[in-house]
Amino acid sequence: MSLSARMIVVLTVVGLISGSLLAVVGLLTKERIEMNRQQEIQTAINEVIPSTKTSHKIYEDETLTVYESLDENKNNVGFAVYTSGTGFQDIITLMYGVDPSVSKIKNLTILDQKETPGLGAKITDEKSFLRFWEGRNCEKPLSLRKPAVDSPEKLDPSEVNAITGATISSEKVLEIVNLSLQRLKQIKQGGKLSSEEKNAT
Amino acid sequence: MPPKKSIGAEYLKGLWDENPVFRQLLGMCPTLAVTNAVINGIAMGLATAFVLILSSLVVSSIKKLIPNQVRIATFIVIIASFVTIADRFLAAFFPPISKALGPYVPLIVVNCIILGRQEAFSSKNSVGRSLIDAFGMSTGFILALLILSSIREILGSGTFLGFQVMGSWFKPWVIMVLPAGAFITLGVLLGIAILIESKTKTRST
Repeated sequence: MSLSARMIVVLTVVGLISGSLLAVVGLLTKERIEMNRQQEIQTAINEVIPSTKTSHKIYEDETLTVYESLDENKNNVGFAVYTSGTGFQDIITLMYGVDPSVSKIKNLTILDQKETPGLGAKITDEKSFLRFWEGRNCEKPLSLRKPAVDSPEKLDPSEVNAITGATISSEKVLEIVNLSLQRLKQIKQGGKLSSEEKNAT
Repeated sequence: MPPKKSIGAEYLKGLWDENPVFRQLLGMCPTLAVTNAVINGIAMGLATAFVLILSSLVVSSIKKLIPNQVRIATFIVIIASFVTIADRFLAAFFPPISKALGPYVPLIVVNCIILGRQEAFSSKNSVGRSLIDAFGMSTGFILALLILSSIREILGSGTFLGFQVMGSWFKPWVIMVLPAGAFITLGVLLGIAILIESKTKTRST
């Protein structure tokens, strides 16, 4: 065999074998990866609305996904909002729960972020950031409290705490939440969140 | 060609004499990027070891078939396949680790340790020797990442593998988990490695 023919044959064969191997691995792991993603969302919903028994997707567009959460008596106990936006360094993906009337935040959880470790990454920290979101009044847009305070009682009902040294990351999270809250209220007014309508169809 | 080493020496050279991180300065990108926590360092080390060992196995078994002109392309295809397998595997079975390592798992493809070993060793040596060499290099790489990430996690977060090891008096040095801390730690460790090397050399001669 001439040299160029050998080169072509070897590379093609190696490529074909690699390709088929990867196709098999892809098939074998695809289901599990999708399952992990679903599970992650499920865990997050239970985290942001602790009384959730079951939940289902009720609204979805490019900016956010809304899950309706029901307790054991099938009563609506709130909506879980899954959304993302630009952070200080990269996209921040988060989920928060609101009560059925969209007037109070229940909890916030950060699903994905690449903020500065030790500073901005504290947005995933319960003690210095997340606990300050519980029970915030969100009828009006939320605002940021800085300099930071050390206990939720010291905040106004519609204020959330900034992280010392990571004001930008805190602001970005606030921005993402405020933007999606505004959108959520619009969707609600459009009647797309009511279970009655869904039951009728 | 240099005289053949004993099996033990072939393995041990990866730990110190030719340690990929401290002596060869290869694979610096993952070394610096993922060592902010011990668990990430271990996961990266194991993923790299998986790719290195299997690539060495395949490359050394088909080395006679590969025309010299396309050897690098062939190596890369083989390495990339194993990297993708490792990446999917982590995503399927260890999603938190897969998330923490982020883009650095796909980047194992261009980790010079792996391509370097194929070019310098596996393409010239028997399957057995290549495997021993790959195991040695992997151990050396994992050890280096372990040392680096332990220092950075203990000083930067006050924890080891997530457990609090420093008392409440300890104020974490945030810089250690930032990129700058990686460079500082690696620099100090390299200095120590060279110091040890020069001390032992002068004694033996």
